[in-house]
Amino acid sequence: MTFADGLKAAALLFVAAIAQVSIFSQLHVFGGVPQVVLVTLVGVSLLRGALVGAVAGFFAGLVIDTAMLGQLGLTSLVLTVSGYWIGRYGETTGRDRGHAPFLSVAVVTFLYAFGVLLVHFMLGEPAPGGAVMRSLLPTIVMNLVLTGPTYLLVRVLLRPRERADYATEVQLLG
Amino acid sequence: MVRRAVLAVLVLVALALLTISFRSPTSGILHDAQSYGADALRPFQVAAVRVARPFRDAYNYVDGLARAKSENKKLEKMVRDYRAQALLNASAVQQNNDFKKLLQFESGPQYPQDFRAINAAVISFPSGAFSQQVVIDAGSDSGIHLNTPVVSADGLVGKVTQVGHTTSVVTLLTDPNSAVPARDLKTHVSGLIRHGQGGTLILDRVSKDQVVNRGDWIITRGTVDRRYPDEYPYGIPIGRVVAVGTSDIASFLTVQVQPLASISSLDAVAALVPKHPRAKP
Repeated sequence: MTFADGLKAAALLFVAAIAQVSIFSQLHVFGGVPQVVLVTLVGVSLLRGALVGAVAGFFAGLVIDTAMLGQLGLTSLVLTVSGYWIGRYGETTGRDRGHAPFLSVAVVTFLYAFGVLLVHFMLGEPAPGGAVMRSLLPTIVMNLVLTGPTYLLVRVLLRPRERADYATEVQLLG
Repeated sequence: MVRRAVLAVLVLVALALLTISFRSPTSGILHDAQSYGADALRPFQVAAVRVARPFRDAYNYVDGLARAKSENKKLEKMVRDYRAQALLNASAVQQNNDFKKLLQFESGPQYPQDFRAINAAVISFPSGAFSQQVVIDAGSDSGIHLNTPVVSADGLVGKVTQVGHTTSVVTLLTDPNSAVPARDLKTHVSGLIRHGQGGTLILDRVSKDQVVNRGDWIITRGTVDRRYPDEYPYGIPIGRVVAVGTSDIASFLTVQVQPLASISSLDAVAALVPKHPRAKP
C-alpha cells in the first residue's frame, strides 16, 4: 500500500461517509437504507487486505460519528471489525473470485446490523431487533445494487494488487 | 501478527472513545473535539445536501403531481372547514386576552409570539432503526441550547439533545427515547406522546375513562409547574388522532396520532428560542 493509495482510499471513504449521512440516509425503501460507506469499505478491504480494511473502517466510522455528533467510537468499532474480516476474506478464500464483493456485502450488511444492535443493547440503549430484522432484507438488496458500480470505482482508483503481494506470511508445517 | 496488533489497538481505541463518549455525552474534552470536528465537516455535508437537492426536488415534484388531483378535493374541503373554525378562534382569542387582562394572569413564554425561530437546514438524516435524530446547520453560536424545541412549518419535530458550535442534534418525536407531554385540544385529555409503529405516534398514559376522539388535534401541554419548566411551550401542534382503541388487559387507551410534520423528509426546521428567557426560580 503506497502513500498515494492510502490517500485515495481515505478520500474515497470520506466522500462515502459524507454521502451516507447527508444523502443516502434519506433513501428509505421498504424500511431499508442503502449503506454506501459499507459497500465502499468492502471494496477497499477486498483490494487492500485486512490491515488497510481495519484502519479504513475505523476512519470511516470516526467520520460518521463526528458528522452525526453521535457516540464516538460506536460506528468505528463495528466498521473496524467489518473491514478486518472482509480484508481477511479477500486475502484468502475470496481472492480472484468474481462474486467476492457481492458475497462480502451481503454477509457484512447482516453482521453490521447485528453488531450495531449488540453494541446498542450492551450500552442499555433502545435496540429494536424487530425493526432491524424488517429492514435487513431491503438494505441487503440495495447494498447489492450499489456493489457493482461502487466496486468498479474503487478498483479504478485502487489497482488490484499483484499476486506476489498477497503472500505476506508463510507458515511451514511438519 | 502486525495485523492483529493493529486490529486490537483500533478496537481498544474505539472502545475507549465509546466509553468516554457514553459517560459524558454533552460535555468534556472529547465532546468539544467532536464539536470542532463536526464544524469542519459541516461544509461537506451542506455541499452534499445541495448536490442531492435537485434530484430530491425532481422526485418530490413527480410524486406530488401523481397525488395532486385527489389531494386537491380533500384540501378544498379542509379550507372551508378551517375558514369557519378560524373565525370562531379569532373571537375566542380576543375574549381570552380580555379575561387575562382582567385577571392579571401571568404565564411563561407563549408560542409562537414569545419565541424567536432559528431556521436551519437539515444536513444529516437518521439512518436505520437505531437513530431517529437529524443534524441541523445551527448550534450554540446561533443561540441554540440543550432541549430547545424544534418545529417545522407543520408542527413539532423534536428537541435538541446535542449542541455543537455550528451544528446540533435534534432527537425526533419518532425516537424511542422521546416523550412529549401533550393534550387533546378538544377534550383536554393529557398524555405523553411516544413513538409508535410505522412513523406514527402514540398518545400514551391516557386512562380508559377519558375521552379522545378520532380527528382530535393533539398539541404540546406546556409548563405544568413553574419549578420544572417544560421543554416544550404550550400549544405547538403535534398531530391528529387517527385511531383510538382499547383492550381488556391494557391499563390505558391506545391513541394513535399521525404527526403533522413529515418527519421522514425534513429539509429545514426552526429551533424555538425564547425572546425573554425566564429567570430560574
